[in-house]
Amino acid sequence: MRILIAEDEAVSLRMLQKTLERAGYEVTAVSDGRKAVEELCRPEGPRLALLDWVMPQLDGPAVCRTVRRKRSQRHVYLVLLTSKNSKEDIVEGLESGADDYLIKPFDPGELKARLHTGIRILELEDNLLEARENMRYKATHDSLTSLLNRGTILELLAGELNRKQRDKHSISIVLGDLDHFKLVNDTYGHIVGDEVLREVARRMLGSVRSYDFVGRYGGEEFLVVLNNCCAVETAADRAEEIRKAIGDSPIRTTQGSVPITLSLGVSVSRPCDTLPLEEILCEVDGALYAAKSAGRNCCRLGSAGRA
Amino acid sequence: MTNLEHASIEKYVNMPELLARVENDSELLTELLALFQDDFPRLRDALHNAVHAGGPRQVEKAAHALKGMLANLSIEHGAALAANVEAAARAGDEREIQQAMAAFDGGETGLLAAVGRFMAGGEP
Repeated sequence: MRILIAEDEAVSLRMLQKTLERAGYEVTAVSDGRKAVEELCRPEGPRLALLDWVMPQLDGPAVCRTVRRKRSQRHVYLVLLTSKNSKEDIVEGLESGADDYLIKPFDPGELKARLHTGIRILELEDNLLEARENMRYKATHDSLTSLLNRGTILELLAGELNRKQRDKHSISIVLGDLDHFKLVNDTYGHIVGDEVLREVARRMLGSVRSYDFVGRYGGEEFLVVLNNCCAVETAADRAEEIRKAIGDSPIRTTQGSVPITLSLGVSVSRPCDTLPLEEILCEVDGALYAAKSAGRNCCRLGSAGRA
Repeated sequence: MTNLEHASIEKYVNMPELLARVENDSELLTELLALFQDDFPRLRDALHNAVHAGGPRQVEKAAHALKGMLANLSIEHGAALAANVEAAARAGDEREIQQAMAAFDGGETGLLAAVGRFMAGGEP
């Protein structure tokens, strides 16, 4: 665990440094408050700090206040270590944002025990953040394919439609539907059907750019948002690339190779287009229907694309 | 180490407490005392200069720094005398400051010499 010591008095600094290094900490030492703030506010800065009160540039409480104001992403556990020992000092120190207050001269055992408390709190915070991130992921992604789920892809599409008008760029929307997928489930079973869906998702992600969005729109339907894709021809080419990525080679499953193809509808929305989300989805759905009617395993453009 | 050496430094330093605080690391103890030999005269001079030329705020800061260093090294009486100077300066009482300074100067006489003898390996 990394720890910052901010201390301008040489004896105290060396004693702290040695005690903490012996206890397994990786110590960074600074001798004034401003350097302490710089270190603690770096994105990968230490998350545990021992701060003297009286220091050049900024005193310990000012360091606490500045760090609390500047660094909000992850908690930094701040301990004031000072020979100021009046009740008023302790209250002022803790009110400035310190998590703990220790009086010099420190006892090595007590110091280490207090720092363990700090580490427990930081670990608790890490666990909470991880749990929140896991929940956020589960709430926004499809559990089978790990693509964005329907709610999230529609939310992102709505956001991109607003942004394209503001930033004056176009976006293309592609709606794909696996051809005869019911037959896969009926022939090979749902477990193989799930394997096919997972592989289709993987191939789709592999055929778009990192800043495009891919979501599972329905059972075997996928919605792709191609950002900054303005020309109709380009959108059609991109949809064609996706189609080929899915259909060019059969999907290997536990029950053998399963050939699968994809039909796609494409719609281009330019900055001047004011169609609401629902109508854009209707249009791209119509284009997909046209692709199905044209014999499947092909792409068709929506009416805006023809304009 | 002879008893005499201990006797000499233990007039000023609570050695059992200091050894416990350095977790019985004699190398660290030597290193800290060497730092003390370097820094103490500077901090003491800063305190004297603050008393003669600075205001109570500077005296308070300088006494606070000395108090911290002395307390860290378990130089208990010296730390208490520095704390008296700090308190007098915080109260802004010039007469108290002078008295506390006189007591401090009296109390630390011989301290550096005792540490020096200890560091030199035992000449009392």
